[in-house]
Amino acid sequence: MASRRIFKILSAAVGDGTSARLGQLALPGRKVVETPNFTSVASRGAVPHLTPDNVTRHTDLSSTYMALEDCRPPTDMDTVVEKPNAAIYEIEGEGEDSRPLHAFTAFPQEIPTILAARRCPAVTAPSGNTSKLLAIFTSTGFRSISIAEYAEAARKLKPDVVVGPADLLHSSQAPAAKKQLRMTERTEDWLDQFLGLLKADTRITSNVPESLIFAPLIPVEWKIQWTYLRHLAEEVLDDISGLAVYDVNLMPELGAFKFSHLPKLSLDTPQNPQDILRQISLGIDICLVPFVNNVSDAGVALTFSFPAPKTGTGIQPLGTNMWSSEHKISLTPLAESCTCYACQKHHRAFVNHLLNAKEMLGWTLLQIHNHHVLTEFFRGIREALAQGPEEFEALVQEFATVYDSEIPAGTGERPRARGYHFKSEHHQEKYNPRTWQDLNNNSNPGTERTEKPHEGAGPDGQPSA
Amino acid sequence: MFMPVATQASLKGLTPEQLEDTNCQLCLNNTYHLGLKPGQEVLDTIGGAHKLQGWNRNILTDSGGFQMVSLLKLATITEEGVRFLSPHDGSPMLLTPEHSMSLQNSIGSDIMMQLDDVLVTTSPDHARMRLAMERSVRWLDRCIAAHKNPHRQNLFCIIQGGLDLDMRRECCREMVARDTPGIAIGGLSGGEAKEEFCKVVEACTALLPELKPRYVMGIGFPEDLVVSVALGADMFDCVWPTRTARFGAAITRHGVYNMRNAKYARDFGMIEEGCGCKCCRPKSEGGLGVTRAFIHHNASKETVSAHLLTIHNVWYQLNLMREVRESILADRFPEYIKEFFGNLYAEPKDYPSWAVEALQRVNVDLTA
Repeated sequence: MASRRIFKILSAAVGDGTSARLGQLALPGRKVVETPNFTSVASRGAVPHLTPDNVTRHTDLSSTYMALEDCRPPTDMDTVVEKPNAAIYEIEGEGEDSRPLHAFTAFPQEIPTILAARRCPAVTAPSGNTSKLLAIFTSTGFRSISIAEYAEAARKLKPDVVVGPADLLHSSQAPAAKKQLRMTERTEDWLDQFLGLLKADTRITSNVPESLIFAPLIPVEWKIQWTYLRHLAEEVLDDISGLAVYDVNLMPELGAFKFSHLPKLSLDTPQNPQDILRQISLGIDICLVPFVNNVSDAGVALTFSFPAPKTGTGIQPLGTNMWSSEHKISLTPLAESCTCYACQKHHRAFVNHLLNAKEMLGWTLLQIHNHHVLTEFFRGIREALAQGPEEFEALVQEFATVYDSEIPAGTGERPRARGYHFKSEHHQEKYNPRTWQDLNNNSNPGTERTEKPHEGAGPDGQPSA
Repeated sequence: MFMPVATQASLKGLTPEQLEDTNCQLCLNNTYHLGLKPGQEVLDTIGGAHKLQGWNRNILTDSGGFQMVSLLKLATITEEGVRFLSPHDGSPMLLTPEHSMSLQNSIGSDIMMQLDDVLVTTSPDHARMRLAMERSVRWLDRCIAAHKNPHRQNLFCIIQGGLDLDMRRECCREMVARDTPGIAIGGLSGGEAKEEFCKVVEACTALLPELKPRYVMGIGFPEDLVVSVALGADMFDCVWPTRTARFGAAITRHGVYNMRNAKYARDFGMIEEGCGCKCCRPKSEGGLGVTRAFIHHNASKETVSAHLLTIHNVWYQLNLMREVRESILADRFPEYIKEFFGNLYAEPKDYPSWAVEALQRVNVDLTA
């Protein structure tokens, strides 16, 4: 019901919701999200490298994705072991900051938050979900939470959108039909329980609008989850405000259900802009795009745009490796005619220097630029869609012929990996090579000294010349 | 005035606009580091460090002399200059007074520092200390001779002489005679006792001309700043406020707090109550409304809380000096010093004795 008010489809031919379309998602108290659009991915309550003032000043993010596992959910056990709940559950929002998740993260007021149980991409848990418990990976280790705990956490955090609990694949990529059926049944049970808990929660008198619930569609063959889809369409349709699609290959089958009015969020992570275009062609309204953060960390500036420019000079790269020494003295912007802060105010030589000097500002500037490229890419997509579906599809074809399909790799080091969400594995290679050496150890291979360092040099240093 | 340090042409994670937001008018770059990365050729082609980093306000460049101490094991010092081994690939680089000037001319800094022969102040070798002091004077002459843009860039001399007050005085006379636009007191902040530090600053400022800025290099703890101003110094720089921010520490008027401590996990107060920085101002006043709990949540897992604390700490230092300036203009600096120490320590008996004694000598009685 709520969904009919928050989401408006603008395309003339509405269709069955399984082809590209224009829309507007208006969440209470936030700026309107023009769709198709993308959602940025936050980590520990912040888009990596971007302070909230930089987000406001230099980006135009439509929304941001946060994971419950980043805000260690409370458990009953915490009181027993005297490990208090994460603080985020105690913050009281007030006034404009009435949504605690926003208040806690100091996230810019106009940008809506989307909360799901797990980070994207998530670290594989040592054991899968059980029939009642969802496995997550928090700052204090792997844990399983019940659906009631998830619902309680969501009730307290009040994100703008919450994605219902999903029994996703654990390790195997191609589970047996029996396993797929079990995933479907669990997800259905969990969603019903989750909806029931959040709906029953009428005791709060706060005037904060409730979080909108998006139902998960799991990566299971559509035939196997047919009953779940029918359940969504026939029994709980009024309680859900959108769909969170973990496998966009399900999209063509959704025409058989009355889902066309629902906004569709893709959590099926694209690897490149071509994947994004395919998702939009299938009817996705909002794409989660985690590759932007990775591309920035790799030191690469994205350079693609939609529609693709008419160059006729062979395959165009999707990005530029800013580590390359060819940018050393280049005063040109990261991408030609880009209007982002990094391109307007700075130049390639500075970003190249910052990466070489391992200064954190390099990654900040790349994040600003790369998010801007995606914002413009989606603006281009919406403008093409406004021309009509045929024009859009023609431009999608053209994009595929103009651009390479792989984003170039950065050739330098990445920022230091910090935090629990980088899980090391057995015999894993060092993330970055060691950059320092023992100065007193002359036998250290790889150091060719032209002068002998004074052994055990005291504070008086070198005798006078 | 306090000057934050952007060693490699970037103030640790902040954009130039964010640095402007802290009211910073002058930041430091380091000649030695910029000479290695991006290198002189690049600086010449781009047209200097202002253009490189998109910073339109002032830049002061340290000459690279301090790296003789901080990178001691990589450096060999002779009369000609300092031979460094690059920490990146072990390749040698000879930093002479002439080369340092040439680099700083390429950088285009508004204030340049002479190359000086720096020793740790605690060095017991008196002869070596004298050599360093005299050599610094000789190097100043070579710097002045090699300086290509005396109209556009101001070259400051640096007074050496360790903790020997007579040697410092001698150096002051030699340096002042060479009439540079500003004068720095160098070689301090190398682990010497605070009493000794104060005596050196006092001895030097007594001999320096009234109308030239006096810059005490490498000083950054709030107490040191306030006491040094009382002893007659004007300018300071230090990496500590930004470095400690990256370690999760917030500087406040009540002391330094480590935000990674578990007790801040559920502290929904501002980093510092009443602080005017972008992080601490409430959203209704154009601030971010960042809480200690969020800094704790994000610290050492993402870089964002380090950036936020950097904004706060730089603001704190600059605001402290603004308050000092205002109190001097209002002729109430002694009262301000008392308030400052009163905020920092629970009781007067906790005041550090070096500060009490140094201030007593300039007629500020903290115990009164």
